[in-house]
Amino acid sequence: MVTRKEIKALTEREPRFDDMTSSVRAVGNQPKWITNEIREVMAIARKFTDEVVRPYVLELDLELTKNPAYLPWEFIKKANEWGLYTLFVPKMFGGQGYNLSCCGVFFEELGSACLAMANLVGVHYLGYTMLTASWNVRMLNKISLDIVDGQKKGEPCLLTLAMTEPDAGTDSQNLEMMDTGNLRCHAKKVDGGYILNGTKIFISCGHLSQWHIVHAYTDLKRASDNTVMIAVRTGTKGFSFGKKEKKMGQQGCPASELIFSDCFVPDENVCLDNRDAIRLKRNIAGTNEQIFAYIWGASRMGVGSFGTAAARNAYEEALKFASENELDGQLLINHEWCQCMLAEMYRNVAVSRATYLEATQANAMHGLWKPMNRKSLYYITKFTPARLMEKLVGWVAEKPIATTIFRKLCLDGQTEEEIDRIDGWGSIAKITGTDAGNKNCQIALEIMGQAGLRHSNRAEKILRDAKLLQIYEGTNQVNRVNVFKRLIKRSSSQAEAFSQNNI
Amino acid sequence: MIANTNKELKLIEKAAYDFSRKELWPEREENDKFPFGPFFDASLKKAYDLDFFHSILPETYGGIGQGISTLCVILENICREDSSLGGIIFTNSAAYEILIESGSEEILKKLTESADQVNKFLIAFPVFSDPSQVRHMLKATKGNDGYELSGSMEYLVLGSIANQAIVPARIQGTDSYSFFLVDLKGKGVKVSSPIHSLGLHSCPAVDLTLSNTPGKLLGQEGQGQTYFKKMVDRLSVAAASMATGIMKGSFKEAMDYTKERSQGGRKIINWSEVKLMLANMSIKIKNAEMSVAKACQALDTKESGWKECSRAAALLTQETACDITTDGIQVMGGVGFMKDFGQEKRFRDAKHIQAVFGITPVKKIKHFEELL
Ligand SMILES: Cc1cc2nc3c(=O)[nH]c(=O)nc-3n(C[C@H](O)[C@H](O)[C@H](O)COP(=O)(O)OP(=O)(O)OC[C@H]3O[C@@H](n4cnc5c(N)ncnc54)[C@H](O)[C@@H]3O)c2cc1C
Repeated sequence: MVTRKEIKALTEREPRFDDMTSSVRAVGNQPKWITNEIREVMAIARKFTDEVVRPYVLELDLELTKNPAYLPWEFIKKANEWGLYTLFVPKMFGGQGYNLSCCGVFFEELGSACLAMANLVGVHYLGYTMLTASWNVRMLNKISLDIVDGQKKGEPCLLTLAMTEPDAGTDSQNLEMMDTGNLRCHAKKVDGGYILNGTKIFISCGHLSQWHIVHAYTDLKRASDNTVMIAVRTGTKGFSFGKKEKKMGQQGCPASELIFSDCFVPDENVCLDNRDAIRLKRNIAGTNEQIFAYIWGASRMGVGSFGTAAARNAYEEALKFASENELDGQLLINHEWCQCMLAEMYRNVAVSRATYLEATQANAMHGLWKPMNRKSLYYITKFTPARLMEKLVGWVAEKPIATTIFRKLCLDGQTEEEIDRIDGWGSIAKITGTDAGNKNCQIALEIMGQAGLRHSNRAEKILRDAKLLQIYEGTNQVNRVNVFKRLIKRSSSQAEAFSQNNI
Repeated sequence: MIANTNKELKLIEKAAYDFSRKELWPEREENDKFPFGPFFDASLKKAYDLDFFHSILPETYGGIGQGISTLCVILENICREDSSLGGIIFTNSAAYEILIESGSEEILKKLTESADQVNKFLIAFPVFSDPSQVRHMLKATKGNDGYELSGSMEYLVLGSIANQAIVPARIQGTDSYSFFLVDLKGKGVKVSSPIHSLGLHSCPAVDLTLSNTPGKLLGQEGQGQTYFKKMVDRLSVAAASMATGIMKGSFKEAMDYTKERSQGGRKIINWSEVKLMLANMSIKIKNAEMSVAKACQALDTKESGWKECSRAAALLTQETACDITTDGIQVMGGVGFMKDFGQEKRFRDAKHIQAVFGITPVKKIKHFEELL
């Protein structure tokens, strides 16, 4: 009926087959064992939420309301004891090596008990994602070992991602906007390293973390192709914490100011700068753009799962309320309007989940976790004894060739279409999940009326927590522009996104 | 908008907005810390001295006699900056409406004449529920010296600051409930500490337990719901004006910020996506204002269908206020979420106020059933 040539032509037409079918194509392509892992990770998360998170939800939030300076050290120590900070660190770097395709499900579970505590775990992997996106194997190994060591010693070693600045939020996260913006975090090249000056704000978990993966710029006027990704350790001379924000929700997770004042960071802590970038296939700005896409493709999938979590948590509270309370002589659950509202909430959860799972598969097939998800590498790492692998990797990681190979494979090997797909789907998952989360919280409070207003009934906290999801990792508006940029713009030859020509 | 053509109302509008900006706005964050920070006694006293609490009362009881419009003008302008005070005025007005509807003239007289302090004047009232939908209600028994009330009730607003409360209770042997006035300093009264809630932090609610507490029956036995419904019909528009005030405050703060904040090399107000969000906000707010103004006019002139106008205005604006305050945060990005700005509080307050008089979908269905 159709020739091969026709199939190719017809399925490459918009909307493109490959953009529509990450999950479908993943069947057969992805290692089967991952399903078992996802199931296991879900169980770990559920056990952790039952034993640690749920009993502490209201107490932690209330503590912060009373005392905004409070830092939840106890919780992160607990999470550390449970091994949550090494869970997704690859086995070859000493971690537990759970596959990254499990992340979304894991964070939906944590978030559906408490978004603040989910963030106290999740942000660590946001920092780790940024670090991974540089494909600097030596740094990955070095910092991973610190994390693993921190777990052994009972001293949590968390990571942050530090991009946002006082005058540059959206500007710091979108390449097209960097050069016209007001980025101020300067990196001056000196012998043996960089001297950092400037301030980052809103950095989640800042005060609690040991390593900060920072974007700084050697030329503030042309930041887009003068970006340095550099890891700064807490305690480094010239680096300090400033203000801790007073937030409406997710109060348990601090948002911190990081201050760099003539802070010298040695070359060995550079994850990626132009000395490396120049050796890659793309031009420097192109590589920086690719790094953003790697990060956002993965992390916005994660925020999508947080949104799903909020939607689910709100749904569960509403369902409980409707099952226990009567109106006009009949349980609320037996009022048809209420059934329909609950169904709407359920649908919001289901659609959001399907969307972040699709984004997960886009990442698995084309993005950050593609190398680890190749069947060969997956099964080798799965079944090689950890000790042996650590030894081998420890030796290889120090050799520049390791980084070169990974960068060739992952950065140079990724096509433009793949970049568009992962970044576009990251934004879709983020917008869908977080809008659904907020919608469900609004509906839950409408169903619960007066009871929903009380802190002790939890629903109001979910609403306060959920609102943040529409803002961080790029506002949902900016994410919409990003969907346009990644998946729509190409349909019209004259279209531009995030451009000075746009009005 | 309500005050457009009325000079007197214009003056009241100005006084309320000035108070809101000068007295409430600077202390908004501090005042919102209650019950984990001090209560804003001084501001409450000033508002009382400015007669913001008397607007609903007929002139014979020291009121202004300008009808519902006055109350709405005051509430709208107060709520632009801090709805907690709005919540106090609103709750108190609801309680006084019950007194008026139940023909409790003596009590009205006594309360208004002797109230040299705000606490003496204030009446606590469970303004976030429809008593006919409450399952476990206080019980009233008739003895030789009148009624005694026992049992517990949830979420009595102003319970920790008012000297008295109006509470619904079921007289044993009757199906429908009645309203009673109880002295909160009196016998057998137990009041919880203020309930930590989503919004309106300085408009505190408490849980109440009574044990053989004397209560004065308001109006007739079993007529509670009749008075309640009359009160709701009138005061719904006042709830709508609170929601409108919150929206206006949110819009102003958002707009001011977008004119100052630059991203991508221009003021963010010049990104058309931001502009469109602000445009949508302004359109919805104008419609809310028109709805409230029309409802006020219908109510004050007892135009036919005024009840429908009042309730519909509330149901619409309360919902719109939740959308607007969500966007009010959103256009400001991260800072919109922080307590040192005004938007997050407005977002919480708007959602809180939506719960006035009960569960939203049920209020909508009941509203519709009235039309059948
Ligand atoms: C609690 C919290 C935690 C956070 N954690 C981190 C973290 O760990 N690490 C980190 O680096 N950052 C973090 N952030 C920062 C977050 O990603 C930014 O807040 C977000 O990207 C928005 O930036 P902004 O707040 O500066 O808003 P702005 O960029 O100033 O945006 C303000 C408004 O303008 C709009 N806007 C801006 N540019 C455009 C445009 N071109 N087109 C259309 N609309 C536009 C936005 O949509 C928004 O509505 C966090 C923020 C918060 C609030």
